[in-house]
Order: sequence, then structure tokens, then C-alpha cells
Amino acid sequence: MRQGLVVQGLSKSFKGAPHPALEEFSLSLAPGSCTAVLGPSGSGKSTLLRTVAGLEIPDRGSVLLDGQDLATVRPERRGMAMVFQRPLLFPHLNVLDNVAFAARIRGVPRRRARADAESFLELVQMQGTGRRAVTGLSGGQQQRVAIARGLAARPAVLLLDEPFSALDPELRSAMHELLSHVREQLNPMVLMVTHDRDEASAVADQLALISEGTLLQHSSVEAMYTRPVSLQVSRLMGGTNEVPGTIRGGVHYSALGAHALPADHPWAEGPATLLIRPERIIVLEDHNPGLPAVITRIRARGPRRLMTVEAAGVTLNAEETTCPHPAPGDTVRLQLPTSALAAVAPQPTAETSALISPTPKVPA
Amino acid sequence: MAVTLPPGLPREALRKDAARNGLTRSRAAGRILRTATAAALAVWFVLPLVPLGLWVFADRWSYPAPLPQHWGLENVDSALSRGAATGFAGSLALGLAVSALATPLGVLAARSLAFHPSRWSALFSALLFAPLALPAFVTVFGLNVLLVRLQVPSSAGVVLVLTAYALPYTTYVMRLAFGAHDLGFEEEACTLGATRGQVFLRVQLPLIAPALARAAFLAFLVGWSDYLVTVLIGGGSLVTVPLLVASAAAGTGNDGIVAVLSLIALAPPLALLLFAGMTGRRRPGARP
Repeated sequence: MRQGLVVQGLSKSFKGAPHPALEEFSLSLAPGSCTAVLGPSGSGKSTLLRTVAGLEIPDRGSVLLDGQDLATVRPERRGMAMVFQRPLLFPHLNVLDNVAFAARIRGVPRRRARADAESFLELVQMQGTGRRAVTGLSGGQQQRVAIARGLAARPAVLLLDEPFSALDPELRSAMHELLSHVREQLNPMVLMVTHDRDEASAVADQLALISEGTLLQHSSVEAMYTRPVSLQVSRLMGGTNEVPGTIRGGVHYSALGAHALPADHPWAEGPATLLIRPERIIVLEDHNPGLPAVITRIRARGPRRLMTVEAAGVTLNAEETTCPHPAPGDTVRLQLPTSALAAVAPQPTAETSALISPTPKVPA
Repeated sequence: MAVTLPPGLPREALRKDAARNGLTRSRAAGRILRTATAAALAVWFVLPLVPLGLWVFADRWSYPAPLPQHWGLENVDSALSRGAATGFAGSLALGLAVSALATPLGVLAARSLAFHPSRWSALFSALLFAPLALPAFVTVFGLNVLLVRLQVPSSAGVVLVLTAYALPYTTYVMRLAFGAHDLGFEEEACTLGATRGQVFLRVQLPLIAPALARAAFLAFLVGWSDYLVTVLIGGGSLVTVPLLVASAAAGTGNDGIVAVLSLIALAPPLALLLFAGMTGRRRPGARP
């Protein structure tokens, strides 16, 4: 019976490194799910993937696949195919033989292995390229072939180590679509690491946020954005609005006034920081109901406008507005929908706050 | 890249303008210089072989005749009667034996230096390259005494000493290859289900094959072309082409025989070089 992948208390340190690459890291993946491990560079994402694949030996902890402990199982016997940031297509083999590699080493006759490989090339929309040299393919094509090669190994878990980070934005979107298509067709269990929030949200149904080798939060994509468990998670997920205050009876009291928190969550009484994402604040013209505020700054972010507003002495960042021509100095009204609010314990200790980015209230 | 010219501006006019203002002059001059240099080098290499080739078929060629007066195969017969075939077999066996030993040893040494660096790496490198730095004559005399005392058969002694001389070359070539080798390929193959043996045979070996061929070729040359070690340590038990060439060249009136033996000495390395050059040009990954 398939039970999925379970990572339990994984720890790994490298000689000379200032902190452990992984520290008591635990994670569970359901069969057929796609989990993205999200974190800044050097947070231990790739070490996690390599340890799960068996390419690194953990100092402590275990990796279980369908209930079986993989501690003594060699990487080639784990049933996990890995796609790296670089496609790493074997240059001495053509496209078709690259995809047929796993079948050939299992002893499948060449003709059958190639026929099988053709079907996987078709799946990644690379049909007809089998006889081509891998060196003649573009970066995006090479990564498609690498994914086909990984899938053709019929892995229990497909491990993706920032596979699209070297591609341009347009190609990345195409690859996200491709991954969705592959998931629809084959429903593999996917564990992916990335430092890109948007990419993680686009391809995964579960996110695991990691920092300095420690798991900060593991939840659905939506919960990661709307219900961060800490200020650090909120900041790593791009949250910039933090309003200090207190929770009493499910209501947050602060300089902005009283704001009822979503009723579907038990909110702890006491000091708490109110969080709301910039894109969830509704900015209206002055004659509308809402919290009075003054626009202090407007910056264009492509098709979007990022506004900094001052309300009751609190600086907030907002993205959406119905105002036709907002300008600095304009008075506006803010609405903070209850469903968009969350609250977390106040500022953590100095050592964790030093790691967070971006800087709160002052978007980059 | 296709360039669309404005209407009324013919391509020829543009080319003339470019030539007039010197934009293309340096490129054309460079091409001529490169061609001339390549031709001069080709002549430089081939020219010494011409008299050798003529001497092989010259039954009589006296000064000042520009070409042989009598053509024939007497020199070939004489060379064969002096043991050219045995010498060829001896050189071939020696070259192959040295290559067979020095190449894998060089691979191991290079892999260790490339992937497992330690504070002793510099010392190991120095020891590996020491045979090139020391005068061969001195080393071989010293080793000869040692090998005789250890009762090592002379042929085996020759192979052992030449292997030590070939090792720096094979290690150097393979060290360069491993320096550029991406271990990611091996890890990728591993996660695709390849065992260590399969990774070596199906991934590592094909990727390092060109360097391996170069290393093996250099080691073969060390064994094939050696004279000093074969004479001093072999003590006459091993007959090779260089020994025959030296013996024939020491006498007078053997120009034709020396030419035949020299061409025999040249043929295998040249054939190997051509073979390596031709196979090395194959487009990567295009094999069906």
C-alpha cells in the first residue's frame, strides 16, 4: 500500500559550515502530491533533496518511503529520479537514448526501451527529436528531456532541484504548464525545491518553508500566504504589513482600531501582530467607508502599482485600488477584509529577525 | 543572420565600401597567414619523410644523383633479415604493455588527485612527475642494479621502468580530463537506477574516453619509442625497432635499411594518431 514519503528528524552538517544544513527536519508527502520546499539560497533545500535521494548520508533522522526505512538502501535502489538545475543530459547519447537510459540499465531490450522513451518524449512535447544530439537542444528543450528521462525511470518520487531556475520567465511558465500536464497524466509524487515563491505556488499543492535547515511551516499554498505561523514565514512569503496590537475575544486591537479575525481559527489571547498581505488591502476613494489613510508613495511594478499609505500612524503597503488616478498626498479609505487577516506572536528574537527578508514595511 | 538592406543599396556596393575602409582587410590577411602557416608546417613535417620513402625503394642511390638510380625491394629484404618483424612485434608488445599498465594507473592517480584532494596531494604530484625531472641515464643505471638484485626478469623490468616513465603523462592527461568532468552526470545516472559498475561503463567511461585514448597513446609512445631503458635494463633480451634502427644507423652503407626501419617505427603511432583524430571528430550524442 502506498503511504507516501516521510522524512523524520533529518539532520545534516557539513564540515566548516556555520550552521547545520538540516536540523531536525520532518516532512510528509502524500502519494500523488506535489510539495515544493521553498527557502532562500543556502537554507538547506538541495541538501534535503540529496539526502532523500541517498546522495548524502544524514547525521541523524530517517527517510521512509511507503513505510520502508531507506537508510540502508543505495541511491540507485530508492526509486527516486532526480532532475537537477542543470539538465545533465549525457552528451554521448542522443535524446532518445538519454530518455531510455533507465530502461536500458534495467536490461530492457533496446528497441522496447526506445519505444517507451518515445512516449515520454511525446509527453513533454518533444516528439520527433529522439535522434538529435542533446548538445543541439535549447535550455528549455534540454530540461524537458531531463524531465522525460526522470519520468521514464518510473520513480516512486520525482525529485526536482530548482529545475527551471536557469530558464527565462516565459520558458519557466511553459515548464510549469508542462509539469501540471505531467501530473495530470501520471500523478507522480513530486518533491521540488525552489527559491521562487511564485514558482512554488504555481506548481505545488503543498509548500514547506525552510530556513537555515529548519522547517518553518508546511501547509497548503493558500495557508502559507494567508495563515503564516510566524512573522518570519510571513516575511519570507512576501508579507510586509505588520501591525502590533493585542487579541481579545477573537478581535485584534491596534492603532488601526478593532478588527475581527477569521472565525475559523482559534486565535490565542494576548499580544499579537496583525498581518495582511498588500494585495488583500482594498484602497477606495475618500468618499467610501473605511479607514482614512494618506498615500505617501507610489511605485510602479509593471502592470501593478505599489502604494505606501499612512493610516493612524501605521505604515501599510497596498497593491489594489479603485481610485482612478492615485497620487502621493491623496486621502483614501482602506478596507481590511476579515478573511484576509491573520495574527501571529509578536517579533521573534533578534537572531531570527536577522534572517528575514524583505525588510518589513519598506518593500524593495 | 539575414540582413535586410534599405531599398536602393545593393549588397555589392556595401561590400566594396567595407573593403575600401579596411573593415574586411585584416580578416582576409589573417586567413591567408593561417593557410600559409598550416602549409609550411605540413611541409616541415612531411619533407623529412620524402627521402626516407625514396630510400626504402632505392637499391642504389649515389651522390649527387637527385633520385635513386635503381629501384627495388632489397632494403626491405635486408631489414626483414635483420629482424625487423621481431623488432616490430617486440616494440608493439612493449608499447601495449606499458600502455595497459600506465593508463589505468594514471586514471586512478588522476581521479584521486582530482576528487580527493588532501594536504599530501602536492607531494604525490611531485613524486608522480619525478621520473620526468630526473636524468633517465642516472635513474636507469640505479634501477638496473636494484632489479638485478631483486631477480626481476629483464623484460618485466623494462616494462616496469617504462610504466613509471609513462605514468606522469597518463596522470597529467587524465587529471585535466577529470578536472573538467562533472560528477553530476554520475549522480544523475545513479538516481536513475544505475549501479556503480553501470555508472562507470555507461557514463564515466564514454565521457572520459577521448582523454583515455590520449593517455593510452602517450603511454604507448613511451614504450614504443624507448631505446635507453630497453638497452640497459633489457640487456638484449628484448629486441625492439629503436634498437634495430640504432644498430643499423651505427654501421655505414645502411641508409636504405635505416629508412625501412624508421618507417616501420613511424607507422603505428601515425596510424593511431590518425585513428584518434578521425574518431574524435564524431558529433557527440548523434550516434543512433
